[in-house]
Amino acid sequence: MAEVVLNEVVKSYGNVYAVNHVSLTVADGEFVALVGPSGCGKTTTLSLVAGLNEITGGEIHIGGRLVNDLDPKDRDIAMVFQNYALYPNKSVFKNLAFPLQMRKLSKAEIERKVMSAAKVLDIVHLLERKPRELSGGQQQRVALGRALVRDPRVFLMDEPLSNLDAKLRVQMRTELKRFHQDLQATVIYVTHDQLEAVTMADKMAVMNGGFLQQYDSPKNVFGNPANMFVASFVGSPAMSLIPLEAVTHGSDVALRSPEGWEMPLSPQNARKALGSTTSKVVLGARHSTVRLHQAETPGAVPGVVYTVEPTGDITFVQVFLGDAVVIVSLDPSFVVEPDQKVWIEFDQERIHLFDGATEKALPAA
Amino acid sequence: MSTQTASKPAPMPATPVRTRKPIDWWRWAGRGILAFLLIFTALPMAWMVITSLKTQLAALQYPPQWWPEEVTFENYLRLLSPNNAIGHEFLQYFWNSLYVSILSTVLGVVVAVPAAYAFSRFRFPGRQALFFSVLLRNMFPAVVFLMPLFLMMKWLGLVNTHGSLILTYLTFGLPLSIWLLKGFYDNIPPQLEQAARIDGATRFQAFFHIVMPLSSPGIIATAIYAFIMAWNEYVYALTFLNSKEMLTLPVGLQRFFAEYATDWPGLMAASFIMSVPVVVLFLVLQKYFVRALTEGAVKS
Repeated sequence: MAEVVLNEVVKSYGNVYAVNHVSLTVADGEFVALVGPSGCGKTTTLSLVAGLNEITGGEIHIGGRLVNDLDPKDRDIAMVFQNYALYPNKSVFKNLAFPLQMRKLSKAEIERKVMSAAKVLDIVHLLERKPRELSGGQQQRVALGRALVRDPRVFLMDEPLSNLDAKLRVQMRTELKRFHQDLQATVIYVTHDQLEAVTMADKMAVMNGGFLQQYDSPKNVFGNPANMFVASFVGSPAMSLIPLEAVTHGSDVALRSPEGWEMPLSPQNARKALGSTTSKVVLGARHSTVRLHQAETPGAVPGVVYTVEPTGDITFVQVFLGDAVVIVSLDPSFVVEPDQKVWIEFDQERIHLFDGATEKALPAA
Repeated sequence: MSTQTASKPAPMPATPVRTRKPIDWWRWAGRGILAFLLIFTALPMAWMVITSLKTQLAALQYPPQWWPEEVTFENYLRLLSPNNAIGHEFLQYFWNSLYVSILSTVLGVVVAVPAAYAFSRFRFPGRQALFFSVLLRNMFPAVVFLMPLFLMMKWLGLVNTHGSLILTYLTFGLPLSIWLLKGFYDNIPPQLEQAARIDGATRFQAFFHIVMPLSSPGIIATAIYAFIMAWNEYVYALTFLNSKEMLTLPVGLQRFFAEYATDWPGLMAASFIMSVPVVVLFLVLQKYFVRALTEGAVKS
């Protein structure tokens, strides 16, 4: 296993930057998820690490070795593709044996390694079959087996679970996590599904528009999003973002809405709000931290219920505060109706404040 | 009471009436056309075979003998025995044709496979222009190039050699071969090669071990196409070759026709023998044609 270091990595096509000065370090044995919406550069970043794409600028080190100009075959990596990319004309056994044959191992050793990988993944009974005769989940295992069979220094995974149905995906997610724990393997895992990233990864790198937005543990990315993009991307349903204006009344600071209501800030939040480059401040709140009142309450602000979405154990309610939407989670026993007037109370300890101009999180002053 | 008992037996007779299928006229019209086409193509061939089994006298009879009264294989024996003059000549033509066709097929595949792969996978300057220029040749009838090519061959000193034909057939066969194979490579997901390269293969090994076996139906199809084209070609063979021992079958048969105009059974036997390699080639290789071209390469 090995450490992977990306230093100011750039990939551009003419004037279009697919990956824009991305730097991050994946420690030995760490599971890092690259997440972001489609087209954010996460898959390109992965293929740069794999060597399938030529790097425009910057450096990539795998295990202390500069690999910029190395062929994929010389980087000692393994990759699991979204569509599995199993060799359709080869049996499962030969699919698993191929990486070993290419490395000129003896027949006996190939046999031994393939069998042991097949045992780990419980695909021994499938070895004689062709990929097309396998179910999606089985193909997935074979693809994983092909990566596993020769103990590479780094595992690269490109949305390996996105072609599975929902139930199998959850099951394979658990198995992948277990597999990582057992092997202590260095894994770089690309996904657009932030839930996969949060549940499996030691660290997640959130990307957007070719830029690395935040690189931290899932807990910190969720708890302290670096900017409005990360805040809205991580977490489901997304964090509610309400554009407001900071106003001062003597030593007190409040946030004022275009509709005219004001929400006084705690001293700590007030200091944050004053750090904004302009008076524009965006209030962010996760659904679980927002309280909803049927009657006017001090400190709560007025809104109108838009939709009510029962999901079973939680009911999500969307409330319009002027033009902004706030999502609130409620106990299913709580009865509200669409178009009903309600009052929203934010938890001063758990709200997030963003600079309305730069979209960055406002630091505690 | 009345509503309950009346409703029970009602559905029974109603169902069989509804399940009768209406006659699908489109389907039957299609079958009719297919049957007609089959007769249209198979009948002359059947007549060729039947005639080749007749004696010369029987072949000229009117009304014709639909089935030869006296079946004879003498025509075939004469053509295939190298000891008599006709057989000697015929086998020489046959060999010439085989030589030219096989060589232009093999060379065609050797050139078309990497060319098509390059067009499919690589982006290089002039790719689009080059690809369409490859097809440019097909916009003109072959005869247009007859004189220019003849002059070129003369200049190259290739007139009356099989090399001139092989070169010509290559230039005519390659465009379609490349076009067809490119389609095959376009349909093979690049991830397969990427996987192979990560698994330790060089770019060439990935192509050789993974991509080429997958494109074998396409390679075989183009090979058959090139072979048949070379095997049947007449105009260029007639123009470029002039000594008797160099002639290919189509030209040679034409010569037979002129020399032995009345020997219809012999001519038909020669025609039949000429069609044998193509038919055999098809029968042997057709399973590759039909074999699922879209084998479960990847989950889509």
